[in-house]
Parts: sequence; C-alpha cells; structure tokens
Amino acid sequence: MDWNKILEFARGPFFNVALLVFVAGMVYRLVRVVSLGWSPDRVPARGSKAKGVALSFLKGILIWPFIPWVKGTFKRNPIIYLAGGLFHLGLFVVIILGTPHMLVWKSLLGIGWPTLPLPIVDWLAAGAIVAMIILAINRVINPVLKLISGPAEWLNLLFVFLPMVTGYMMTHHLFFRYEVLYSLHMLAVDVMLIWIPVSRISHFMFYFFSKAIHGADFGKRAVTP
Amino acid sequence: MEAQAQIAIDTFLRQTGGYVASQLEACTRCGMCAEACHFYEATGNPEYAPVWKIELLKRAYEQRFTLVGRAKLAIGVDKLITDDELLQFSKIVYEACTMCNKCSMVCPMGIQLGPLIHEVRAGLSAAGMVPQDLMKAVNKQLEEGSPLGMTDEVYESRMEWVADEWEVDLPMDVKGAETLVVFSSIEVMKFPENIAAIAKILHAAGEKWTLSQAGREVVNFGFYEGSEERTVLFLKRIFDAAVQLGVKRIVVTECGHAYDALRWTSYNLMEVPPGIEITHIVGLIGEYLRTGRIKLKEGALDGRTITFHDACKIQRRGGHIEEPRTILGILAPHSFRELSPNREESVCCGGGGGVIAIKEADPVRYAAFELKIQQMQRVGAQTVAMSCSNCRLQFTDCVQHFNLDVKVAGLSQLVADALIEE
Repeated sequence: MDWNKILEFARGPFFNVALLVFVAGMVYRLVRVVSLGWSPDRVPARGSKAKGVALSFLKGILIWPFIPWVKGTFKRNPIIYLAGGLFHLGLFVVIILGTPHMLVWKSLLGIGWPTLPLPIVDWLAAGAIVAMIILAINRVINPVLKLISGPAEWLNLLFVFLPMVTGYMMTHHLFFRYEVLYSLHMLAVDVMLIWIPVSRISHFMFYFFSKAIHGADFGKRAVTP
Repeated sequence: MEAQAQIAIDTFLRQTGGYVASQLEACTRCGMCAEACHFYEATGNPEYAPVWKIELLKRAYEQRFTLVGRAKLAIGVDKLITDDELLQFSKIVYEACTMCNKCSMVCPMGIQLGPLIHEVRAGLSAAGMVPQDLMKAVNKQLEEGSPLGMTDEVYESRMEWVADEWEVDLPMDVKGAETLVVFSSIEVMKFPENIAAIAKILHAAGEKWTLSQAGREVVNFGFYEGSEERTVLFLKRIFDAAVQLGVKRIVVTECGHAYDALRWTSYNLMEVPPGIEITHIVGLIGEYLRTGRIKLKEGALDGRTITFHDACKIQRRGGHIEEPRTILGILAPHSFRELSPNREESVCCGGGGGVIAIKEADPVRYAAFELKIQQMQRVGAQTVAMSCSNCRLQFTDCVQHFNLDVKVAGLSQLVADALIEE
C-alpha cells in the first residue's frame, strides 16, 4: 500500500471536503434552529438580563463548577467533572496551542500565534486521552449514562478518540511508520469533521445559546446565575 | 398511528421555537443534571434524571426538525413515540419532578431543564395523560373555583371566621383599593393563621388593600398540569378581579408556583392588564421594612435555632432571596442558621409542582424530604421558616410522617407576631 498517496488524499481533497461538510453542516444547524423563531419575552424584569448573561459566561470561562467547594454536586460526581474538565482543557490546548496545529490554522486563516512547548502540550494530550477512557468507562457504569446512551453517544467518543490517539502516537513515533500514523491521523480528523455537524459534538456552538438563556432567565429575576 | 401520542407530539412541536430547540441541541448527554435532582438523589432511579424527563420532547424535536432524527427513524434506531411511553413518562414528570430547576444550576451548558420539563407536561396534558389525582384537582378548580373545594360560600364563611377568631379586618371587594391580596386555598383551608398574620402586617403598614370574591384563589392547577388554556383561564379570574376593583398591585401570598405563574409567566401567555404590579408578600414585607412602614421587635425569635427553607419558585425562580434574610436577621440575629445548600442553590422540599396532590407520589415525596431532614439536622434547626404554603404543607406532613421535633412556620406569621404596634 502506498501510504504517501493515502496521506496526500487525506490531507488534500478529503480534508477539504470534510472541512466543507463541517462548515456547511454547522451553518445549516445554526440557521435551522434560529429560524424556528423566538417569541419576545414580555415579562417585566426585576434585575438585569445583560448582567445575568455576562455572569453566566464569566462563570463558564472561569470553569466555576470545577472549583470543588463551589458546587455540592462535585462531591457526588467528581469523575464527570474532573475527567470532563481535563479532556476539554487538553483538547483546547492541543488544537490551539500545539505548534503543528497552529500551523494548520495559519494556513487556513493566514495568521499564526505563539505556542506552548511540546512537553506541556504532550502531557495535556496524554491527560485528555486518559480522561476520555475514564469517561467511556463511566458511561458503561453510571446508571443514568447507561440509560441515556445510544450508538450516537459511543460514536461521539470514538470519533474524537481516534484523532487524539493517532496524533499522540505520531508525536512519539509509536508502533508504525510516520507516514502511516500521519495518514491515519488525517483520516480520523476528516471523519470527525464530517461527524461533528450530525452529532452532539456540535454543542460548542449551542453552548452560547443555552448559557445566554440561563443568564437571562436568572438575571431578569435578580438571581445569581 | 397512535392517537394520544400524536396529540402530544403536535403540542411539543408547537411549543418548539428557538428557545426550546437551541437548548435541546446544547445538551451533551453528560448526565450531570441527575446529581442535582432530589428525587434521583433520594431514590437512585435513573429515570428521574432531568435529562431523561425531557426525552420525549427531544425525540419529537429530532424526528421533526433534524436530518439526523429523520435518518434514525428511517433506519429504525429511533421509533415513533407511543401511547405507552406517554403513560410511562407521565409517572416520571408529574410524580418525580417539582420543576424546581435546580438542575439548571449544575448543567455545564446552563440548560433550563425546569421550563423544558414544563413543555413535556404540556404535551402530556394535551394528550390527557395527567395523573388522575392531579386532574381531579384541576377539574375541581374549573368547577368550584378552587382545587381544595374553596367555593364562594366556603370562602366567605371561612374569611368571616378568620376575622372573628383573630380579630382582624378583612376588606372584601373594596373598589379603589391600592392592593389586591390573593391567598391560596392552602392558606385559607389549612393555615388560616397566615391570613390573619398577613392582614395584621398590611394593617400595620397602613396599606389600602382588599380581597376579592371572584379572584379568591391564587393557586393555579392548570399551571401544574401544563395546560396553557387552563393556566390562562385561572390567571384571568385574578386579573379580571384586579381590573374590576381598579387596583395597582396584586400581592401573591405564600404560594410559590402561583407566583411563578402570575409574575413570571402570565405576560408571555396572555394580555396582562397594564399598570398592575405583581409582587410576593415577602417582597412586600421587605419593602415595608426598607421604607419603615412596619417595625419589628429585634431578636424576638432569638433562643431557638431557626433556619430558612428557600422555595424553588419564590427564591430561586422568584428572586426574593434577600428579604427573608433581612427579616430573620432582625428577628433572630443570634439564632438564625443557614441550611446548606441555600439561596438559589437550595434543595427543593419535594412537594411542589403538584407532586403533593398525587397520592401515588407519596413514597418518592417522603424519600426526597429525607434530604431536607439531613440539612435541618446539620444546623440543629428547632424551627424552620418558609415563604411558601406548598412547601409548608410538605414540611408539616413530613414532620408528622417522620415524627420530627421541628416547628414549621410561615415567614409572614413570624413577622406578624413580632410587629411593633404604634
């Protein structure tokens, strides 16, 4: 098998198609939801909606819920909080502050930025991979997650896991030749990009809706969101 | 095609605008909301997880509005909603949910699960899948004007008795009064001392107020049930009375969901007559204290350890969080202890949302209350105060059921007892 050809395909035409599907799919999802209509809220407010929204996002950015003593629920469900938090942290650092990924962004957007040293990125990537495994195990054990998990939930985990694990192997030249790992990594990324718009991984977009709604609903009642 | 299911689906879809859709889309199925639910925590039943309670709404939405939902239907991963499923979910969303919305506080996406579960109830109500006990109460309110059988005659004689017994003035249908006060039938029938207490406070503040015969019931079982039509019908009885009497303000007494319906929901369901402010009795007492219209004996309740239970609809979803603290800060500066968690993070009593009206829900209702017992025991509470009669009904019933040595008190009552008469 000519892995160089596969690599060329995976990072060339297939990547472009996947990217197009991703962008078009997400735009479709956004338009579909927004076009369902928003009835105006005529309830007279007691407090400031804007302040509520701002606080809601601030708490989200400051990862408020992950501060152990803030939420009682943390005590009861530390696995989802810690593993979920670690996974997202690792993911964001790797795809934004990892040098190879920054270069991809640069080629797409035309601008680059400073990145973190490889060892830091590498440890966080490893952490994210371990976190995903823990989340997967938890999904099998936790009775609520067992009840609400169907094939889609498992595919979400798989399609995010594959790019991460192949990327990690690539950095460390594990088991296979470099071009093989690179090809597998790119194929996995392409599949994930196509999967995102049809799955709940797209929550990163609707996060901004639900967080804003939460902030506004609490803010107008003069309650801390 | 299953007939009832279709009616429910149609209702779900009618209610689905951007507000519902964007929040359904934001859900990552992480399951964290379960840990916030007192019914899940008390029983460990995964079906009580808030995310599961909105499952029907989510499926109806996906099957109609998303390509993936349709694809899943086509290849058989998902199926159409059946009548049996409606029945199964009716037990879950009416018997094991008080719509306290605590779950929205732990959801990492901030999804308002309470309001979404209300939409599920709307669909089930349209399909005629409301539990019998609750529906009986709704029908009673339709026919007699009150779910607790507070008919015209009962109301009249009851109010006369309260006026005699506690020697208070209860002005009825006074045109040109500033404030219309609407009690819940829970207060009239079970906690009549509350009526006397509130009358005393209003008198001390020199309020020009009135009661209304036509708008006598603030409780809204249409809202519990999730029927928009009946919610509006019951709201209209109060608004019509307010317009007829020409009042500028409606005061909801110690009733949580009624406050939610009147203050925070009515405006989006109907044309609310302009120029009428709606507030809760706790908000009013707070205002009286701020403006010096009433004065309370400082430290009147010091001695016995007293705590405050935050009601989901008056504090978390009503916003009256500070007023009770101000009041208890005056009445019991040394012996007031906060429950943990408290304020907007407070754990629900377990009896709201119509749950206490459903006999079959008794086991989960008592189970959920055990969380409250633990919280009260941690602070060594001898008295627990609250500003919601529905909570108070649940507390009173559970204190008896569990044979607890705790005094349950309405906040207005404590205020009235500590009034400094001038």
